[in-house]
Amino acid sequence: MKIGKHIMSEIIPAEKQTTSIAINHHGTRVYESIFDMLPSVDNPTPLVRISRLNPEPGLSLFAKLEWVNPFGSVKDRAAAYMLRELERTGSVSATRGIVEATSGNTGLSLAGMAGAKGYHTTVVVPNQIPEEKKILLKIVGAQLEVLNDSLCPTPGLGDGSINRARTHARAEPDKYVHPNQYVNQQNIQAHYETTGPEIWRQTEGRVTHLFVSLGTCGTATGTSRFLKSKNPNIRVVAVQPSAGHDVPGLRNVAQLEVSELLDRALIDDLLEIEYELAYRRALDLCRKEGLLAGPSSGLIFEGARRIAVRDKVGLGVMIFCDNILKYTSSMVRHLPELSDDAARQTRE
Amino acid sequence: MTDYAHPEVLVDTNWVRDHLNDPKVRLVEVDVDTKSYDAGHIPGALGFNWQTQLQDQVRRDIISQQDLEKLLSASGIKPTDAIILYGDNSNWFACYAFWILKFYGHTDVRLLNGGRLKWLNESDKPMTTEKPSPAPSNYKISGTHPELRAKLPDVLQIVEDHGQNLIDVRSTDEYTGKIIAPPGMSETAQRPGHVPTAQSIPWSLAANTADGTFKSCDELRAVYFEKGGVDRDKPTVTYCRIGERSSHTWFVLTYLLGQNNVRNYDGSWTEYGSVVGVPIER
Repeated sequence: MKIGKHIMSEIIPAEKQTTSIAINHHGTRVYESIFDMLPSVDNPTPLVRISRLNPEPGLSLFAKLEWVNPFGSVKDRAAAYMLRELERTGSVSATRGIVEATSGNTGLSLAGMAGAKGYHTTVVVPNQIPEEKKILLKIVGAQLEVLNDSLCPTPGLGDGSINRARTHARAEPDKYVHPNQYVNQQNIQAHYETTGPEIWRQTEGRVTHLFVSLGTCGTATGTSRFLKSKNPNIRVVAVQPSAGHDVPGLRNVAQLEVSELLDRALIDDLLEIEYELAYRRALDLCRKEGLLAGPSSGLIFEGARRIAVRDKVGLGVMIFCDNILKYTSSMVRHLPELSDDAARQTRE
Repeated sequence: MTDYAHPEVLVDTNWVRDHLNDPKVRLVEVDVDTKSYDAGHIPGALGFNWQTQLQDQVRRDIISQQDLEKLLSASGIKPTDAIILYGDNSNWFACYAFWILKFYGHTDVRLLNGGRLKWLNESDKPMTTEKPSPAPSNYKISGTHPELRAKLPDVLQIVEDHGQNLIDVRSTDEYTGKIIAPPGMSETAQRPGHVPTAQSIPWSLAANTADGTFKSCDELRAVYFEKGGVDRDKPTVTYCRIGERSSHTWFVLTYLLGQNNVRNYDGSWTEYGSVVGVPIER
């Protein structure tokens, strides 16, 4: 690190340093700010082929690595669009910050971006989200409120995270604005304008299957709407965890009716998969593909495997929402072989 | 609300909005989540914390007469005031506070139908974080109503003689013993299951899921008498885990359906499921 600094200051005279580097150039990846790194059709998140774990070579499977985004998840897209809209309408300021209900990733993206812009952020999270996420939210400067709530906060019902966020915005409108990712059309628009066009260009229009999971449903609706406008025959497969699951951000099939951003007409297949497989497949991806995929990616991958066996030909793109680093404690809880006790027994 | 046996104990959101500045009307919020009030409440409403203000702080018991007199006096509430209660989770703990206030003889207690969620969902209803600073009163309780409360021996008597309706208002999974307490709830018991002879009628069957208001009188009669098998001619005891959900059903049976002799067993499963040697069914 030190060496790099010396080289910069010694070789290039200070007055020429800013002009000698191509700023905001995706080829060299030198940026003026973190916001210039956000994904777009010219700066897409990577697609990486599944090699060893694809059961059906006729149907190529590519993972879209959303953890490459600046704040580590697919939620950077919705957060950036929602924040941009709040700025455009003059809804945020140095004194009026953001309050949002989240199972973690949207909060991380919003708080990280808001911090970089000088806005305060309060996030309301369910107590069941992994401890890693709670700590990360504090690290990026969010005020954290933890509620007894389901893993994917449910709009309209009960008195959980979403209604707590709404309460703050209603009671202190000068202090808080509530973008509400669960109903905010910017959540869809972000994917319609970025994720969809990226996939279309990256696959040269040859994509046949899109594999997503449903939480707020912004990713599924926005991306599907764009891709189906290009080719109505593209199959959209939503992969959901079974009831009682422990996969943050996702809804069980029975809970989907509360998702206002869901357009069921866009979903061709709705799979319900035993949620424990989310963790097992995430481990497989880490160990056999070198992809540090989180549990929701593991779940989507399991769904994609099943559809690959069924449909046999095509080119599938899986949205891998975030990586495993925020879920190490969840992995240990669900995969006994990862615990210290198991390691000790193996050694003995 | 007119079909209910005692419609005067329910008020709606518009009525509350129209009485925000009525000095005889005192709003009190009581929530499961004791931080909800601080996040935002109806202007002028006081917040009572069920854990620290409605319970004895040494032994397990409801607040004592002396402590309730202190609380109501500090709140500036007079015996002639109308106390309007509301809260989260379709008024669970608002009903619990209602039951306690009736136990200690306050005359005019009412519920905001739908609780804080219905208020929050109506855009013309104001909310604030400002806390009122009422001038203290000198509240004296003139008489108590222990007949509203069931204790462990009463429940064991029902197990013995089947002489009363016993309603378990917890979720089906709690009733069958699959779980001891709902996820995230800290108060628990030593054993799962239910009291023998208890009928399972979850509290939630009395509330509309869309807005937390109470179901119509006809719907409630179907829930308790036609499908639930409650004998209208017998006294009734309700119980849950710690006595708040059973207060909800106690309120429904007493004030909406007009049943006489309904008692709330506030010891509920956290007491019964921890007692050595009592019969349990799963």
